[in-house]
Amino acid sequence: MTSTTWRRAAFAALALTGLASVSPAALVAGAADASGALVTTEWLERNLGAPNLRVIEVSVDPGVYEKGHVPGAVNFSWHADLNDHVRRDVVSQADFETLLSRAGVTPETTIVLYGDNNNWFAAWGAWVFDLYGVEDVKLLDGGRKKWEAEGRILDNRTPVYEATGFKVTDPDPSLRARLADVLEVAEGRAEDKLVDIRSNDEFTGKIFAPPGAAELAVRAGHVPGAANVPWVKAVNEDGTFKSAEALRELYAEAGIDGSKPIITYCRIGERSSHTWFALTKILGYDARNYDGSWTEYGNSVGVPISNPSGTIWASK
Amino acid sequence: MIEALTKDAPSASRGGPDGPRKLLRPVLASLAVLGLLAWSVRALGAAPGGRNLAFALGIGTILGIVLQRARFCFYCHARDHVEGGDPRGLLAILLAMAVGILGMLLVISGWLPDPQGGRLPPEAHIGPVSWALVAAGLAFGLGMVVSGSCISAHWYRLGEGSPTSPFALIGAAGGFLLGFNTWNPLYSATIAESRVLWLPQKLGYVGAILAQLALILLIAALIWRPRKEAPPPPARSLGEAARRLIEGRWPAWVGGLIVGAIAAVVILRLRPLGVTAALGSGARGLGDAWGWIPERLDGLDGFAGCVTVITEALWRTPNALLVAGIVGGAFAAALASGQFAPKLPTGTQVFRGLTGGLLLGWGAMTGLGCTIGNTLSGVMAGAVSGWVFTFAMVFAIWAGLRLGLGTGGRRRASA
Repeated sequence: MTSTTWRRAAFAALALTGLASVSPAALVAGAADASGALVTTEWLERNLGAPNLRVIEVSVDPGVYEKGHVPGAVNFSWHADLNDHVRRDVVSQADFETLLSRAGVTPETTIVLYGDNNNWFAAWGAWVFDLYGVEDVKLLDGGRKKWEAEGRILDNRTPVYEATGFKVTDPDPSLRARLADVLEVAEGRAEDKLVDIRSNDEFTGKIFAPPGAAELAVRAGHVPGAANVPWVKAVNEDGTFKSAEALRELYAEAGIDGSKPIITYCRIGERSSHTWFALTKILGYDARNYDGSWTEYGNSVGVPISNPSGTIWASK
Repeated sequence: MIEALTKDAPSASRGGPDGPRKLLRPVLASLAVLGLLAWSVRALGAAPGGRNLAFALGIGTILGIVLQRARFCFYCHARDHVEGGDPRGLLAILLAMAVGILGMLLVISGWLPDPQGGRLPPEAHIGPVSWALVAAGLAFGLGMVVSGSCISAHWYRLGEGSPTSPFALIGAAGGFLLGFNTWNPLYSATIAESRVLWLPQKLGYVGAILAQLALILLIAALIWRPRKEAPPPPARSLGEAARRLIEGRWPAWVGGLIVGAIAAVVILRLRPLGVTAALGSGARGLGDAWGWIPERLDGLDGFAGCVTVITEALWRTPNALLVAGIVGGAFAAALASGQFAPKLPTGTQVFRGLTGGLLLGWGAMTGLGCTIGNTLSGVMAGAVSGWVFTFAMVFAIWAGLRLGLGTGGRRRASA
């Protein structure tokens, strides 16, 4: 054997040892920056391929995942996978179990969710996961936007994982507000704080729906007593959440300090999950998401509404 | 009517009394245009969120060059066969379809491992199959005969300075407006209850590929004709080879191969290839602003295909940049080959452009795509709608030519 061959072999052995020592499995267990509800893009890139990690994309726009996603990520469609196809409801328990089993999720799996549009629907996904008692679910801070902006690697192959028989719990009613709960607050029979995370124009009733979205409610305005903190105020320019300190201050200014239970809502219940995530997972407040949101409340007969703009639907 | 490779080049290049056409200036002008396009691709790519826009402009430029150099024009190819008995152009289109079917279904099979699970691949041009689609294909085919080409070819001919194409495209925008106005009745009458048929859902990926390739082979066998003229002799020098590349027409099959490959690969980065979405969106935006179209278009935005959503920044959409690339690339290619020949339009050309364009636009709107969006992107994805549109269109071209509605004569198609 020549000396060159020896040197090559030694180098290969060294390289292998080096690889083994930074093997992803070791990192997932010991990483300090993944203890909270958020993981950084850097942490995720370092940990890709770890056996107990499952990355799941939940994006608003169809076709985004297919053109390139975080390597190894599976795709959950918010309207086809995480919603019931017929009733207005989240996915059924049985279907959710099938979905997670197909993605190879086990009780030991750490799940990282991410998506486009500042994690809107990924945060809504996190709410659905929480509803069904799936533990160890994190959000990639900054989502697709930051991952792409940092030029991190994208893949367009769809991974196939060995299916499992994963079970979830019954949906936890304490995470979900219903019309009756919101009505109690509006009529002063409950002390919860309402956070309306829509734009100011929607909140004040100037418009019935944000630009580009259909007018799905026949009344404009907001639930009486709600505070308006548009969701976008909770994020930085790069799509990451603001610091816990800044978030605490932001909501305190609107009278939301965590001393009373909170209900978040928006138009169809998805964007409000983003604020729900900040309030519960980052600030540790007691918050529920009202997924019926304005399209349910604003269409309900006889409920009190505050509409400072006085717009009248369908008037000429 | 297709001349041999060398004969198709402008006659001066073959050496007349003035000697061969000088290439230096046209090639420099062409390079300047390409340089500007390359600079735009770079600038777009550097802007936040601009990578897809840059890709669209770049791939559009390549398409524009290929379409212009190979004269990849559905109508001219069909006419060459019907009137001149030359099958090469149609065979090239079939080749593009075959290459694209293999490529696109290869990609889609990765996205959707189980085609029979009840889902459709995202964004793929798989549309509802109804008699409205047949009507759309017929109108589109007739529009091709009257205006002298389909929408994609009008885009590249814009880059050649065609006197008809600007009017055909204006007419097509009008046709879109007409289409938006007939959409709701057609939707209630037939589209709403028609089925969206995807071959892999019925046959699996392998079955869909084999069935479609078999159909393509059958059509190829039916249209095949013996070659009348000998192929051009090989180039004797590098200079001659370069001159042929720049001035001579590329063999039709080269165009088919490249177009098929691009149409398949493009779905890795953008929506499937189509050349009417931006035009249609622009028309819809105008129509909406001026109150010329219904406020609500039933079910339209739920279908895949060349979708026409109203957007505030139309030029910043991938489809608009793809089309800009096609026009720019064709312009650069036409400059170099001496085929950029702007002319003042005659009354007939204006009339043919506008009326043919109207039919093209109505057909593309109602059928949710044109020769690119349906015949290429639809068929390649395994959509029955792509085939139905295409058969209706081919029938209309044949009938239109038989009825003498064509631009007549055996003039160069770019005239």
